[in-house]
Amino acid sequence: MKMEGPQLEILTRRVAECPVDFLAEPRIGAAGSIPVAAIVSDLIRDLGGDPLTLRQSTGFSKGDAKIGRNHLRLVLITCWLFHDPWFLNRKECANLLYLFLTGPLTDLSATTAAEKFVSEPDRREELVRFCLKELDLRPAGETIAQAQDRLATLSTAERRRVIRAAREAEERARAIREAMVRRAADEAAAKASRE
Amino acid sequence: MAGGFHNKNLFPLLSEEGHRLLQWLHEHKYAPHYTHPGCDRLTAEGLEKVRAFEAELDSPQQSRRNGEMPDWLKEHVETCYRDVPFYRRSGSAPSNFTSIPTTNRRDLSREPWAFVPDSQPLNDLVIYQTSGTTGHPLDVLTHPTPLAMYLPLLRTALAMHGVKLEGHCGRVSIILVCFQKSTYTYASISPVLNQAGLVKINLNPADWRDISHMAKFLDACDPEIYTGDPISFAELSRLPLQTRPKAIVSTAMTLLPGRRHRLEQHFGCPVIDIYSMNETGPIAVWLREAHVVLQKRLYIEVLDRDGFSCPSGVHGEVTVTGGFNPFLPLLKYRTGDWARLAFHGTQVLLEGLEGRPPVIFRGRRGQPINNIDVSTVLKPLLLVQYSLHQNRDDSLHLRVHGRIQDQNRLRDIIISLFGEGQRLFVEEVDSLPAAGKILQYSRDDE
Repeated sequence: MKMEGPQLEILTRRVAECPVDFLAEPRIGAAGSIPVAAIVSDLIRDLGGDPLTLRQSTGFSKGDAKIGRNHLRLVLITCWLFHDPWFLNRKECANLLYLFLTGPLTDLSATTAAEKFVSEPDRREELVRFCLKELDLRPAGETIAQAQDRLATLSTAERRRVIRAAREAEERARAIREAMVRRAADEAAAKASRE
Repeated sequence: MAGGFHNKNLFPLLSEEGHRLLQWLHEHKYAPHYTHPGCDRLTAEGLEKVRAFEAELDSPQQSRRNGEMPDWLKEHVETCYRDVPFYRRSGSAPSNFTSIPTTNRRDLSREPWAFVPDSQPLNDLVIYQTSGTTGHPLDVLTHPTPLAMYLPLLRTALAMHGVKLEGHCGRVSIILVCFQKSTYTYASISPVLNQAGLVKINLNPADWRDISHMAKFLDACDPEIYTGDPISFAELSRLPLQTRPKAIVSTAMTLLPGRRHRLEQHFGCPVIDIYSMNETGPIAVWLREAHVVLQKRLYIEVLDRDGFSCPSGVHGEVTVTGGFNPFLPLLKYRTGDWARLAFHGTQVLLEGLEGRPPVIFRGRRGQPINNIDVSTVLKPLLLVQYSLHQNRDDSLHLRVHGRIQDQNRLRDIIISLFGEGQRLFVEEVDSLPAAGKILQYSRDDE
């Protein structure tokens, strides 16, 4: 966060106005329609870098849609964010972008549904601050301490929510597993035919 | 085993007449040794739901025409993504149905609890442990109400063949016949069939006091229909039965045309093939040249390996969405079975369905061994996926996907089933061949 970046509000507003094309389904195998690799490649080129190699592109189109979908949706939203003129005019972050999209952004996508980073104000702010931090930037007008503190507050609140949801999900799964163990000892109700 | 019929939890809606029939089924002098007291567990509320389900089956307006998405589909998808942990993990519901990723038996086998909606109460949970004819043993979570919904589906299938399943109080309607080394057997009474009997038996002589009792008991029951699989019907046709059913309903394995013809000749009644899975219940019934889809709230697609919809006339994997089991709402679930999708008026058809062919292995003493028995004995080993082939010289070739934890135990289990001296070659492989679907059981001469 050493360098001062753009105004936070400009970027959060940009995310809030994310066009439907960037919220559409990423293409993974037969599913979805948006070729994420092409969008990423175009962005990196617009930012002054080299387009993705074939190998790099593969990571944005293959894999298990049940696992990768949310990450790719967040990649699309993030690409929209980085198309902001502030980044395009400076052409400084192209080299970092591929690593960011395939690394830290994957972690962020693991806990929160991608569309919440558009629809919920706190998540919008978290996404913008997260992206800036990974590029060693901080919002214009903020000190490093302020920027770190605000991102930590947002992340902590979200992390708490995620932990609470995960705990509830695990409790529910355990209750079902326990019921399965109890019921396995019982006999099933009659069935008229077999499979 | 007797006594279950005194328990109101097992038979909440049992009437006086039903009680008498159940007692008769248990105390009959030729009755088998039931392994299970039998139960129904259907409540008045459940029965109401079954009746509503039956009424919906009879309503023509909800059938699907070529290319149409049913009205209920959108809400089903949204509910799944909101309420079911497995689907929710991939974010919100895609706006386009074709963008939904497919699921498969491996997903379900790994964590069946993740498919249970958060809002689904766990009372009266029922578990069906399936032997895994496509290679993945499975625990299917369900409930007495959806299990009772098999009956209206069966009625509909029979009606398509001109057979009326009446379900008179005081008589046996259905006998489910098995021929296995061991399986659950029971006598039950169904409120859906107006307190008629539903009995499951095993034609293994070990289940009876005397081998001659099998035919005598079945004649005494004189059921409206028999259900079972081609292997059990082959055994049933060896019995000197005096009575004849209205129909025979074959499920679980492919019913080959020659075998169907022989059974029809022998029993003098229609032999009806139903395509059914534990995950969905009965899906479709054979009628003339194709399987006609029975369920109104089961959306069927035929997809290629990459998940694209197959053009009309092209074979693909039968993939289902919806279903009537509240513990298992399905979204693009790949069944492992292959067919062509076709439409006739409002009927949805599966043509050229490739199901699960029955295989009878031969033991060391020449004894027949049902492939279901092989699945049953191997189940405790929790193998991820395997295939078993018997060569012309009767030696066995077992191929297992991945590492085998305890190969000695695996050998002991198979040899105890087939007999001492059985030759067995065990191979660990990185992947099993998938030509259409995995042919899990095979013999050189079949």
